[in-house]
Amino acid sequence: MTPVNAALSLPLPAIGVDPGGAAVPAPMLPGEHFAAALVFLVIGALGLASVAGELANGLFFVPHVIAVVHLITLGWIVTSIFGALCQFLPVAIGRGLRWPTVAHATFGAHVLGVALFVGGLATGHPALVHAGACGLALGFAGFATNLAVTLASVRERGVTWWALAGAAVFLVVTPIYGVILALNLQGGALIGARRFAVVAAHAHIAIVGVVLMVIVGVAHRLLPMFLLSHGASERPARAAVGLLFAGAALLAIPIGDGARVALAGVLAAAGVVAFLVQAALFFRHRRRRAIDPGMRLAAAGLLGLVAALVLAPIALSRGLADLHLLTTYVAVLLGALSLFVAGHYYKIVPFLVWYHRFGPLVGTRKVPTVAELYSARIARANGALLILGWLGLAVGLFLGAGALVRAGALGLTAGAAIEAVVMARIAQRRIA
Amino acid sequence: MSDEDETTYDDVYAALREVIDPEIGLDIVTLGLVYGVTVARGEVVVTFTLTTHGCPMERVIRSAITEVVGRVPGVVDVTAKLVWEPHWHPGLADAGAL
Repeated sequence: MTPVNAALSLPLPAIGVDPGGAAVPAPMLPGEHFAAALVFLVIGALGLASVAGELANGLFFVPHVIAVVHLITLGWIVTSIFGALCQFLPVAIGRGLRWPTVAHATFGAHVLGVALFVGGLATGHPALVHAGACGLALGFAGFATNLAVTLASVRERGVTWWALAGAAVFLVVTPIYGVILALNLQGGALIGARRFAVVAAHAHIAIVGVVLMVIVGVAHRLLPMFLLSHGASERPARAAVGLLFAGAALLAIPIGDGARVALAGVLAAAGVVAFLVQAALFFRHRRRRAIDPGMRLAAAGLLGLVAALVLAPIALSRGLADLHLLTTYVAVLLGALSLFVAGHYYKIVPFLVWYHRFGPLVGTRKVPTVAELYSARIARANGALLILGWLGLAVGLFLGAGALVRAGALGLTAGAAIEAVVMARIAQRRIA
Repeated sequence: MSDEDETTYDDVYAALREVIDPEIGLDIVTLGLVYGVTVARGEVVVTFTLTTHGCPMERVIRSAITEVVGRVPGVVDVTAKLVWEPHWHPGLADAGAL
């Protein structure tokens, strides 16, 4: 029993202090990741507009285009994922990151790595590219170690645990491929189709082994929570984790021929299908009729993933022979992942702010709900701009229409800037 | 239950409606998260659950329950007891609330 007088005389936690102990981490760690990721997204979207001409002409493999692509992949998507995991682990596996200080350090290494790597590519300074690759490798390895040590301390090992464990493995494998490619930019043996094969393997190990694996694990906990979905079978998610892991592992083996790559592709595609089925089940079994702007954006991302799945076998089998299709596929895939991630910002950031600023005040005064921390109208407009931007970009790339690519990229930039401003304003919300 | 405790019981339920789940925007009584309230000589035990295991709202909701119930006249002690059985499901929410 808690004596009422004692309970009432307890000082309220100061605003910004975590009232939930291990339940929700301090906001700084995920917050710094989200802030950096949004900056990278805005710069990356602007970068897409600046290279629209090259992209529309199928000039995908030129350094400054590769730089822009890495701003989106490493800067926006991976930084967001690291931040989301910092925030999400206590909810997902009942334990926060083992070493938060290390996570701050790996964040620094990662952000510096992205800046140097992208800057080096864009300006043609190989030394910067190598320094950036070192920073990125350090960031990936540090985060993977932190994640692995955290996971090892957890006894209950469900779908989410296995998905994150798989992602930790490929967080180490991905930069190894990246380093091989960086070295080859200096006149290595991998040229033409062979270099394309290594580039494709590198990109897909990162996307299938890290990004999709984390998305499957995170979605398995968050989608039912956000949608109030109950009674959906969990078998598809289990299959997704196994298939995605097997696909990425097969891709990572540096020997063999086309049959290995084809099998890896089939396994990865089956994994994506299983994940999409699981997500559809969660949406179908939802008890919450209204879908908020964040979940709408995430659903748009899932639809984009379906489109990427359709394009993948054609685009990857044609490879360098059809650069328009290849760039379209990459745009659709990165757009799908970006929309899914951007949608979750509308769930994660408001909750984080609410929990630390308003949670301690519940029961003592009227506090806003999480959804009241931002304007749903602006969020919907934000989502529409992001979706239309990616759509314009992808269609423009397919048609080879530079003006449409640029218009799409500018729409995307506007959407990214609005999302960044909305998140910054949410972060500033305080009780009146 | 004495008449006094019965009055307190009704007041406790009314007070619990002030505790809003911030994500869903509904109070914990409407959501069916309150599994029971017992009152004995001003000592109140609120048995509650959360929508899902690992829900990060545990301490916020627990402290809010203690806070609002503690303000009910006649209450001298409050215990907020979290249980996971039976599992909460949306069917426990008031009809049409979701």
